[in-house]
Amino acid sequence: MTPGRAAIVEGWPVFVTAVVVGIAFGLTARQSGLSIVETSATSVIVFAGASQFVMVDLLRTGAPPPLIVLTVLLLNARHFLMAAAIRPFVATAPLVRRLGLAYLLTDETFALAIGWFRRGHHDLTYYTVFGGVLWCCWNTGTLLGATFGAGIEDPQRYGIDFAITAVFVAIVAIGVRHRSDVAVALAAAVVAAALRLLGASAVAVVIAGALAPLAAFAIREQRK
Amino acid sequence: MTVWVTILASGIVTYVTRVLPLAITTSRTAPPQLRRYLDALPIAIIAALAGAGIAVPDAQPTGGAEVGAAVVALAVAAWRRNLLFAVIAAVAVVAVLRAASL
Repeated sequence: MTPGRAAIVEGWPVFVTAVVVGIAFGLTARQSGLSIVETSATSVIVFAGASQFVMVDLLRTGAPPPLIVLTVLLLNARHFLMAAAIRPFVATAPLVRRLGLAYLLTDETFALAIGWFRRGHHDLTYYTVFGGVLWCCWNTGTLLGATFGAGIEDPQRYGIDFAITAVFVAIVAIGVRHRSDVAVALAAAVVAAALRLLGASAVAVVIAGALAPLAAFAIREQRK
Repeated sequence: MTVWVTILASGIVTYVTRVLPLAITTSRTAPPQLRRYLDALPIAIIAALAGAGIAVPDAQPTGGAEVGAAVVALAVAAWRRNLLFAVIAAVAVVAVLRAASL
């Protein structure tokens, strides 16, 4: 299978989810007072699902722009870690290509692309195709939701909203190879869950993601 | 006006978080400790995303349905080594469990 085809075949549950959640975003943004143009511009310019919901919610409640932008920064700081982890695989690509890949970097693209690289592939086609299709799905969904959103049913009833989380769980299950991987994954999941339950939603993933790799050092030290 | 400033500034800070590690090149190789840290980073981030999504799926703490579905996703993925089967099974289980708790 070519890398581009593999990206479509493996990615389609994520694509469907992106359209559905994109519709929900379009609808939410319109209800928060944004115009259709502003709503679509948000999905094109920011292109980061969760933080877009938080952004329009804060706009609706009249929060000052600097506070909104700071919140978005904290929410998306995890991308910095993802880009650092992706870096070895894209380091030889030309700068323009890397700038484009950075624009397409989302949780989903990161998770799928790392899965591809860890299976021993070195091409960037998989990443590019997956990220590009995801971008189209997210923006199409946003536009649909912003334009026709009122008649759409709640996706939560059908469990579709859980598909993205299920993708992350499955990638971890397939990706763990050593005892230290298990320790790192457990530490990350538990710390992120605890932080989110305690209300630190904005920074839960970045803190858990940054700390959990230290568990790998602990496991290896033990062995010596 | 406020809306456009917010959208543009949010887009810029988001892009900066994504681009910094990819745009800066260095010919120096990372020290071994840092390499080990970076090796473990992908699993950590993806597991953190999973843990956060299970604990608080939609602004509300989980009622248990998501935990059950995550266990199913984990089992199916470990057994079949197939992303798609695992996701379909998890979505079906979470839909049934949520409906059952109503």
